[in-house]
Amino acid sequence: MASTPVSPRAYAGGRVGSEMIPKGATKMKDFTKIAEQMKADWNRRISHDYRFWMSDGHRDDAAMWQSGERDLDIMLADIGDTRGLTLLDVGCGVGRLLKPALARFARVIGFDVSDEAIGKARALLGDGPELYAGNGVDLRPLGDRSVDVVLSFAAITSMPTEVMAAYLCEFHRVLKPGGVARLQIYLGTESAVEQNDTLQLRCYSEAKFERAVRAAGFELEWSRDLVLPFKVSFEELGILARVVSLARSEVAPASVEEITALLRPGPGAAPSPRPPIAGVDLEYWMSLNYAGELAERGDIERARAALEYALTFQRVATIDVRDLLERITSRLGATPASGRSSSTDLYAANLAIVEQRFPMVASSLRATDDPNVMVVSSGDGAVIIEQGQCLDHPQKPLASGEVWAKRVLQEGRVKDAADLVIFGFGAGYHVEALSRATSKGVSVIEPNPAVLAAALRSRDLRECLTRLDRLAVGEEAARALFREGDELCLRPQTQALHGEMASRIRSIFYGTRGLRSLHPTVAVLGPLQGGSLPVMAYTLRSLQSLKQRVREWDVSGFAPSFHHIDKFFYDKMRVTGVQNMYLETVSQVLLEAVNEKSIDVLICMAQAPVSGRVLTELRSRGVITVLWFMEDYLRFTYWKDLAKYYDFVFTIQRGRCMELIRAAGAGEVVYLPMACDPGVHRPLSLSAEERKQWGSPISFVGAGYHNRQQVFASFADLPFKIWGTEWPECKPFDRMVQENGRRLLPAEYVKIFNATDININLHSSSERDGVDPTGDFVNPRTFELAAAGAFQLVDERSLLAECFEPGKEVVTFRNPRELKELVAYYLNRPHERQAIADRARARVLSEHTYDQRIRQMLSVIYSSKFEHLKRREESGGWSKLFRRAAPHPELTARCQAAFERGDEPILDGLVSDVVLGKGKLSETEQKLMFLYHVRKQMIRMKSEEMGLNK
Amino acid sequence: MKRRYPHKTNILLVNITRLGDMLQATPTIAGMKAENPDAKVTVLVEKQFEEVCHSIPNIDEVVGIDLGMTVRSLAREQDGIVDAYEYVTEFVDTLRAKNFDYCLNMSSSGYTALLLKLIGIARNGGWTADEEGHRVIESDWARLFATSVFHQNRQYNSLNLVDVFRCSADVIQHPPKLMLNIEPAAREHAETLIREAAFTNTGPLVAIQAGASQEKRQWSPAHFIELIKTLTNEHQARVVLVGSKKELSIIEPIKAGCDSPNVAVFAGKTTIPQLAAVIEACDVLVTGDTGPMHVSVAAGTPVVAMFLASAYGYETGPYSEGNLVLQPVIGCGPCNPNKPCSQTDCHETIAPGLVAKLTMLRAAGDVRSIPPGLVDPRRVIVYRSCFDSHGFCDLQPLTSNEFDPLARFRAAYRKLWLDDLGGLEFAPAERRALALAADEVAGVEQLGELAGRGEALIDELKRLIKDVRVSGRALAGVNEQLSSLDRRIEEVGYNFSHLGPVARMFVFAKENLSGTDALDLASQMGTIYGDLRRRCRKLNEYFATV
Repeated sequence: MASTPVSPRAYAGGRVGSEMIPKGATKMKDFTKIAEQMKADWNRRISHDYRFWMSDGHRDDAAMWQSGERDLDIMLADIGDTRGLTLLDVGCGVGRLLKPALARFARVIGFDVSDEAIGKARALLGDGPELYAGNGVDLRPLGDRSVDVVLSFAAITSMPTEVMAAYLCEFHRVLKPGGVARLQIYLGTESAVEQNDTLQLRCYSEAKFERAVRAAGFELEWSRDLVLPFKVSFEELGILARVVSLARSEVAPASVEEITALLRPGPGAAPSPRPPIAGVDLEYWMSLNYAGELAERGDIERARAALEYALTFQRVATIDVRDLLERITSRLGATPASGRSSSTDLYAANLAIVEQRFPMVASSLRATDDPNVMVVSSGDGAVIIEQGQCLDHPQKPLASGEVWAKRVLQEGRVKDAADLVIFGFGAGYHVEALSRATSKGVSVIEPNPAVLAAALRSRDLRECLTRLDRLAVGEEAARALFREGDELCLRPQTQALHGEMASRIRSIFYGTRGLRSLHPTVAVLGPLQGGSLPVMAYTLRSLQSLKQRVREWDVSGFAPSFHHIDKFFYDKMRVTGVQNMYLETVSQVLLEAVNEKSIDVLICMAQAPVSGRVLTELRSRGVITVLWFMEDYLRFTYWKDLAKYYDFVFTIQRGRCMELIRAAGAGEVVYLPMACDPGVHRPLSLSAEERKQWGSPISFVGAGYHNRQQVFASFADLPFKIWGTEWPECKPFDRMVQENGRRLLPAEYVKIFNATDININLHSSSERDGVDPTGDFVNPRTFELAAAGAFQLVDERSLLAECFEPGKEVVTFRNPRELKELVAYYLNRPHERQAIADRARARVLSEHTYDQRIRQMLSVIYSSKFEHLKRREESGGWSKLFRRAAPHPELTARCQAAFERGDEPILDGLVSDVVLGKGKLSETEQKLMFLYHVRKQMIRMKSEEMGLNK
Repeated sequence: MKRRYPHKTNILLVNITRLGDMLQATPTIAGMKAENPDAKVTVLVEKQFEEVCHSIPNIDEVVGIDLGMTVRSLAREQDGIVDAYEYVTEFVDTLRAKNFDYCLNMSSSGYTALLLKLIGIARNGGWTADEEGHRVIESDWARLFATSVFHQNRQYNSLNLVDVFRCSADVIQHPPKLMLNIEPAAREHAETLIREAAFTNTGPLVAIQAGASQEKRQWSPAHFIELIKTLTNEHQARVVLVGSKKELSIIEPIKAGCDSPNVAVFAGKTTIPQLAAVIEACDVLVTGDTGPMHVSVAAGTPVVAMFLASAYGYETGPYSEGNLVLQPVIGCGPCNPNKPCSQTDCHETIAPGLVAKLTMLRAAGDVRSIPPGLVDPRRVIVYRSCFDSHGFCDLQPLTSNEFDPLARFRAAYRKLWLDDLGGLEFAPAERRALALAADEVAGVEQLGELAGRGEALIDELKRLIKDVRVSGRALAGVNEQLSSLDRRIEEVGYNFSHLGPVARMFVFAKENLSGTDALDLASQMGTIYGDLRRRCRKLNEYFATV
């Protein structure tokens, strides 16, 4: 047989078709028999091996739950907040999707025709979900309009058509008005399946399906490709795995018969691309392969059980599987030791090449041991690797590798590349295929050394390894692997398994490439005032140090006028209204600035005064808009209105903050904590006089928020100084607050950090007393103090431990009592303080500088918008100028210099650095200055003629 | 006259942007050719003036630079810059290949200076640029040119720029007129135009140029209408309104306002040689300080010229004998050419009736005197253009100049420069020793003293330079004193505006120090201080004599 379906619920391949009604088939209205057949078939399969028949063929429950989480995410795309909702999973099996749904929905209901499956689900999930073994006909006892979301993943695809039609009507009944059904189905070329076949996948015509769901009382909201780490669609056959979203309408459903009729292939339907295969043949073949796979893993007992199960079909099956059967029985008879001996030889041979060519990789392989990595057999008997899920095509890895390589080489970006870097080695089939199919250098990054080691043990990869250009294992090594001219090819299987790492690798690759090869003009817009104003300066410095073309938009000069408006009115609403008009004017100033000097990326600091209108206009001109939202999203909620105008929002909080900002319409939302600028925040040598002015045994720098007042009121008896604004002038603060609570400059507070023995860093809260127990983000002060080499006591924050090791690099407190105890402890322990501060400084310099943050930010932007920025650059004025200036090397060099300075591609830009009398002018400079003066003179003469001189 | 480069063989004359400038260069061109008969003269002009240059005698080759195209390319920016760059490269290469041995650039613009630097001609009579792009003016006469057009100093100058230009090129022999060939065909065209005008009057044929380069220099149409009505109605004159097509917007309302068959509009109907032929056929041209005024001089037709607003008769007056120049007496004039004027009071100092009478007088013949009472000397001075005994153009007042406070200074400076730069001899009476204290030029003694101190410091500097034991610090100390002294000299030039020209000459000379040898530089500086001291002394002498 050419292809080997595994499990209809697992999508590891499969035969799909729509239903064929044999002569004398069951009558439409009488499909109880079919329901009983379904129940019996699925009970049998569950009894045999629920993970194989209900999941992706995973070897353990953990992997099954993991895949359930993944698939639930796909099914619930865009639904938003589900916490108060009721979910119904039809065809829930053993509850693969129910388990993750429990954490997301108020009520979770599972329905399956197999009581074996329901029983198992109950055993696995306990009382969490409501579970029903259905009759295969309807959804009783569920009441009308009782469910918000219905989903069915890998279930109705194998149901007979009339059963599916009946379920559609039932979905309509149980769904509340406005409810939604999410179904995973196959759409495309219709083909025939036996009506009583409960295993084969059915494929419907997209148009017919849409008509049928409308008849069932739904509107088709969308239909999307289902993309999983393994092949689920059969494009070559025109059969596509899809997820559809159906919105319940108020139209009453038509009859089941009518809906069924709409779904069935008509007389003019295309003939089935393949002859129908009997469900029994399929089950036989799948279980045989499963037995082989288990045997390959060395799971002899289960392999034998699977073989036994398969053989129950031998008598009724019509397919000829003698070769396969022989191979499996032979494997089951072989001793595991002989396999290991063979793999040892292979490993030694492969490793010799790795040691010779990639010694760093070889050393990383020695310490490899990952029990999750398994070598198994594919459907066609080839060796493949699994790590919870298949890292190679489970059926035909060799052919799949060839197809992948062919497709990759057809991509334009790949055609233009000098060399190719593949993310993911797996068993190496695709690597072999690609390196054979191209003359470009091929390199590989494998996230997991155990996977590579497994491949080296199981396959003869000598030729492949010899052909490889570069090889890296793990993320750190990958960073150093990329070269100019490379193009990155991410394998879906590895990407699915190492999603976050793939995303980081992508960022590193495109980000590094972007930083190297893109030269957008990046404008940085600050606020009128406030904490993000100094961050703007740090950001600018970092952008410059990264050799970006930077434009500074400092609008702090507009602040006095903004506040002056306050003096004209009593009515605060009127003040706000006029101030908003003023901010709109400031926004317009920015737009005019872009009209004069274009930009490619706009990075807005928090509270930057730019309106949605202007952001929209900028985006329409192709400018990428970025917000660094360095605020507490709960306290400052302007993101609700503005997030949708930004292509990227960088936040200092994770989780809910990111979710909500994403839901508010932001393009990409990425966590990017605050940092330090080592040029500003640094250890200082202070004079005795400075120490006296700025120093104290204990200090706090910051504004007088509620919780700080509440905590520091009890510090009156300590040698404690407070620096900052908004503190009460009353007792006890009158003696603690320095210099009348004026606003400090960064250079001043760095002196305080340096001159203080214990710096207290208490994150602000307007609502809570003392330490906010829900506090998450880490304030800039934490990083700045660390960079200044200062010792700090900082309140506990949930995200702090990601940045510093509490107790080692910073000392944390949970409440005011602890704070006072720690102050008392550390006051007389200068050496301990120093050691902690030194470690904090080392950490912050290695991981938390603005240079690193801005590099990360740009990596994300350039990774996501590389092509956009590249196209923009190529069609921009500078490219035209460079192309045209190419025959003149000196002019080109001058253009390059002007370009790097951030000048515009205009004559004034080319000569902006020429100051007469400061050194010899080259001939090119003389010519450009000649042109500059010609234009000036002509304009002057024209103005004279027109009487415009002033 | 002291001459820097009397012998020239392959000359480039740069005079790019204005027709008047080109015509004003004609005595110089003729002089160079007369003094170097085998020399080749090439003129570099803006493309649009290329054709008219073929009508100028003594020019062997005309090279046109297309500044319009260059500016249009630059307006496109981006790749347009490279188009312009390549054009310049090609243009410079073309000029380099011609191997000029001498260049005279009397345009003070930055771009011509840079262009000449790029071409790299060894000997220069006017503006060029140094390695760092700084302006360089090698010749004293060219520096005087720059000094004289420096706005603060303009009124102290009485040398026509044609002569200053000529002297910059070391030309002594020159015709006392501007030159332009008028071909028979042009004359025929002019005759046809005049014939077709079918004037009914039989009086003098008067050409009127109403347009001007700047609005503030343009007499009002109402005044022109009044003038023309007087001329046509009272004096039977026939009037032709000349000018360019662009000026029709001014001229047509004048024609309409006159409503006379004896007024014809030729503006826009002539090329420059045809314009010259029209003016040649006229008895007199009434004009402001314009290109056609110089065309008229070249065509031999006398002019009655009003020097309004920023125009200054001594500076750019008609370069031939017997023209009438009207210069308003007004506190703000001549004003800065680069500033606009919203209240052109100077226009009202000249009445249309006066212009009509002077026009008729001049049409009748050379005017050596003005009938008493015709001109109010508090409002306007009428001059007659002439040449002095040394061949330099001058203006002879036909009316009292008692209300011109700077007349004495102007006369003194004229002698100073002709003596000091031109090496001309003046009568002993004019060279007597210091005059009475009351006649001294205020501040000149102070300036002379500063110059003397400079000479002493330079002597000290030279001594220190020669002494190898001397520390750099000592040298720096003297340099510091010199810097502060130079600053003081410049300040005195500003404090006493009548000393502006000598102080400015000092500044320009200093800007042109060249070389890297310390001793040589010190010697050059010494000469500059010496020049200043000598000029201060002479200025005082000549001031007393006038």
